[in-house]
Amino acid sequence: MIATIRPAAFFLALAFSIIWAAAAQAKTTTIDDAGTTALEPLVKLRWNSVAPPRGGVDNSMSGTMTVQVRLNVMPWLKRSGRIYLSLPAQQPGPIALSWVAQGRFHSGQLRSGNRVLVYAGPITTPFMEDLVKFQFTVDGALVRRPFPVTFRFEMDED
Amino acid sequence: MRELGGAALLAALVAGSLVGAASAYTVTITAAAPQTIYLQVGVGSFTNNYNAGGTPQKNATIDVVSTTVAAAAVGNGTAQAMTADTPTTNSFYDGFQFCKAPLPAGSLYIGGFFRTTGAATAAAQVTATVPAALTNAAGNTIPFSKISWASGGTPNPDSPPAEPFPSGTFVSGGVQNVGSMASNTWNESCLSFSYRNNTVPAAGTFTGVVLYTMSAP
Repeated sequence: MIATIRPAAFFLALAFSIIWAAAAQAKTTTIDDAGTTALEPLVKLRWNSVAPPRGGVDNSMSGTMTVQVRLNVMPWLKRSGRIYLSLPAQQPGPIALSWVAQGRFHSGQLRSGNRVLVYAGPITTPFMEDLVKFQFTVDGALVRRPFPVTFRFEMDED
Repeated sequence: MRELGGAALLAALVAGSLVGAASAYTVTITAAAPQTIYLQVGVGSFTNNYNAGGTPQKNATIDVVSTTVAAAAVGNGTAQAMTADTPTTNSFYDGFQFCKAPLPAGSLYIGGFFRTTGAATAAAQVTATVPAALTNAAGNTIPFSKISWASGGTPNPDSPPAEPFPSGTFVSGGVQNVGSMASNTWNESCLSFSYRNNTVPAAGTFTGVVLYTMSAP
């Protein structure tokens, strides 16, 4: 009887240790993007439809901005990591963001309050760069005055 | 144990410097859409239905709304239905036949939209500039106040609950409000005009022109 209990207890302890190890590795760090520059000064929103709908719904506006993204990934050089584009929930309300990258990063889309993987793999250079065209889409009813939108790149270390 | 403590301190310093250098990127977003208004009274022009990618065009047509009163009926107090000379019955929004039975044939389509640069604003107003009277070749007159209209239209599930251009009567010799368009909405009504026919004017063909104007804040 004793002999049959021990292996089970050992297996349980091992399972816990694996879970703990995985949680410890999921360290997220905001990447230094001080070298990033926008090619246009503003994101200019325009209605997605020339005329509004009968019922006044789906009043979405979109605008684009091209950004030369330059991330300082020196702290993770010669290691592997996953880079996410994170768009925090912020004023004036829900924001949809889509982007097209030139290949260094993945293209994708997300809604505010979320993040999406844009790179996974080895970090082989001190800086990672890409020309990214972003499109922001918001409910036009929320656009009363110019407003800032903040996003960031996050590194999850493997 | 000392070495471990030193390593922990070094790690903390490195992490601290990373946090200090890290940043988030901020862009400024602003509305840049031009304010746009479109008003169609009777005949209008779109490159295609709006929901098929159409855009509004200019149309200078002046629609004629008329009636012919039989000699025996002149001034008998029975209102005479007036009909528009245009076949406009469909909405340029989606091609939906908006002006149709049970509305009287010859109803006049009126519709349009008001696009702001961004968030909602006060509604755009539509006014009618009305002459004092219709006149004939001899200079006889019929007050414009003898002409009224009933507003209707075949509702769509997404139509606003109230007529944006409600029923009314012309006010002779003035500018009157005949409807409004809430910002960022499409609006349309069908107007069925009638002549009151409760007086006996001189014989002849009486004409007058009412100018509809849309004003946005």
